[in-house]
Amino acid sequence: MSDLITVKNVSKTFAKARAVSNVSLTVKDKELLAIQGASGSGKTTLLNLLTGLEQADDGEILFDGENITSMSEDQLALFRRGHVGIVFQFFNLIPTLNVVENIALPLFPVRLARDKMLDRAKVSAENVGLSHRLDHYPNELSGGEQQRVAIARALINDPKVIFADEPTGNLDEKTGGMIFELLRDLNRNRDLTIVMATHDQSMAAASHRIIKLRDGMISNE
Amino acid sequence: MIIVFQYALKEMRKRRSKYALNVAAIILLVVLLTTLNSLSLAYKDVAGLPFRSINSTIIIQRNGNVPENTTGVVLSCSSAPIGADYLSKVREVDGVNDVSDGLLLWVFDHDNFKRVFGVNWNDGFGRGIESQITIGSRPQTNREALVGKDYADQYGLKINQHINVSGAEFQISGIMGSSGKNVIPSDVYVALASAQTLAYNSRNLQATERFNETDVNIIFVDVDQTNLKQVSQRLNNIFSVNQPTGGNTPTGQVIGSISIYTPISFENQISAVFKLSDQLTLILSLIVPIGAILIIANSSGHTLLERRREYGIMKAVGFRNRDIQQVVFSETLLQVLIGYVAGLILSFIAIVFLARTTVSVNVPWEVGGYPHFLVPNPSLAGTVLTYLLPISFQVTYALLSGAVVVAIGLLTTMILARRINGLKAMEVLRYE
Repeated sequence: MSDLITVKNVSKTFAKARAVSNVSLTVKDKELLAIQGASGSGKTTLLNLLTGLEQADDGEILFDGENITSMSEDQLALFRRGHVGIVFQFFNLIPTLNVVENIALPLFPVRLARDKMLDRAKVSAENVGLSHRLDHYPNELSGGEQQRVAIARALINDPKVIFADEPTGNLDEKTGGMIFELLRDLNRNRDLTIVMATHDQSMAAASHRIIKLRDGMISNE
Repeated sequence: MIIVFQYALKEMRKRRSKYALNVAAIILLVVLLTTLNSLSLAYKDVAGLPFRSINSTIIIQRNGNVPENTTGVVLSCSSAPIGADYLSKVREVDGVNDVSDGLLLWVFDHDNFKRVFGVNWNDGFGRGIESQITIGSRPQTNREALVGKDYADQYGLKINQHINVSGAEFQISGIMGSSGKNVIPSDVYVALASAQTLAYNSRNLQATERFNETDVNIIFVDVDQTNLKQVSQRLNNIFSVNQPTGGNTPTGQVIGSISIYTPISFENQISAVFKLSDQLTLILSLIVPIGAILIIANSSGHTLLERRREYGIMKAVGFRNRDIQQVVFSETLLQVLIGYVAGLILSFIAIVFLARTTVSVNVPWEVGGYPHFLVPNPSLAGTVLTYLLPISFQVTYALLSGAVVVAIGLLTTMILARRINGLKAMEVLRYE
């Protein structure tokens, strides 16, 4: 497998507290990578740096050979729209949009006919088993269903990689297991690279590789 | 874009109380701008209505002496004769379309008093008089006359009967409609030459003012509205040669001075309400848009705080700042459109309602020409003309208010966009 993401000596500090310190790593194409660590170890910050939601203070991040640390805010937005899907612990769905519209959200700024946009969203919903809930609103869905919507939204632009930050952290064990299985299935059958921050040992163990963070630094790989 | 508007509609439904406030502010703005400006225009128009009924835009009179006694034929108090040579000078002024003249007399016969107007039937004013005949036709000879309906009713006069004016017999050829809409009402209308003969032969009149047989005491000038000020100024120059001789008329005009009445002078002279309306319109036209901006910006600011998370999600999934601006703009545009359309409908209703109201115009006593001594106070002798308010829905003001609300929409979007641009996605998504 070739290198998809290369992180070189990246650091990030918030109000004098070092969240990520001199981290270097690579993410292989089609890899399922788990990032583990205690709360405050820098997992989320590292994921945010990889997605361009946070800007590194030092170092560089190459995504498919392209340095995202030198990109402007708009370029980073386009980068996320074109190459990256993000799944959050708390789903982050828009309450006034129904399932199919939430899934289509990343396409809103794209010049695409409404029907085509929604057709793509329906296909994405089908991939996560939500075809029967298209017209429902987030407050009508269970936690697991909301996370499926978030995953379908992450898939809609055919990204190369999905970054998932504690995707099961807000779900019960059974539902969390189903969500992880869905991510693993996407990795296996659709060759999607998955980078996932998790506390869950069993999910980490089921990943191809684990990176452990401690005080913002990689403690072992 | 369609899906963005659908999203905007859903957001508006969800936060309807906040958006309703914005829409209400826009409605108020459109209604005030459209209705008040139309109202202001209508009031200006009212000042011109008395002139429209006589087919002219300027009335010229010279202020004269009061007759020693009230017998026989006198000039309507307190006008003085204007020589025929002035008429040709007025006709030569650039911008003058038409000139009419007349001679307004008061006739104190032994059994009654009557106002007699000498009219040139072939000029613009004469044609205006002719158009108000309801029974019969225009006099064909100098021995025929028209009588006003009120006067005819009072004395039971019928068509073809004779009427005596200071010893001269006139056959009634027609009866005028109600003189209520006429700026210079009269009881009897005769040919100008007949009136001039009556005036010339009146001892009482000649004792008060020197009157030549071709003199008149009122001139009507028709000019385009755009030339009104310049023509008025030139007419002033022409008549200023005739210096005031001193003393005042019963209403305080300087004897010998010239009075030039125009819709502008009516507007200034007749009613302070017009000025008040203009000032009110101006003040509200400035205050209301600022108020609307503050209301909308404040309300949108609250909405922005509530929706920070949504904007953060959008940034996280790949919206650029300009993409979010488009979302915000579509919401503002919808509010503006709804408010604008509703505002126009309400303005239209308000204008239809206002068009049913009446407005009174007090014609200056000198022009109205009713004997001041027949009422206890000369100022009460002013002719009051009542008109339906000539207000109509002005497309120009509708477009103007549209431009203002669009500008407010853009400004609000810009203010919000600046605040959204400063949002960091992770700052708003980090904490639950």
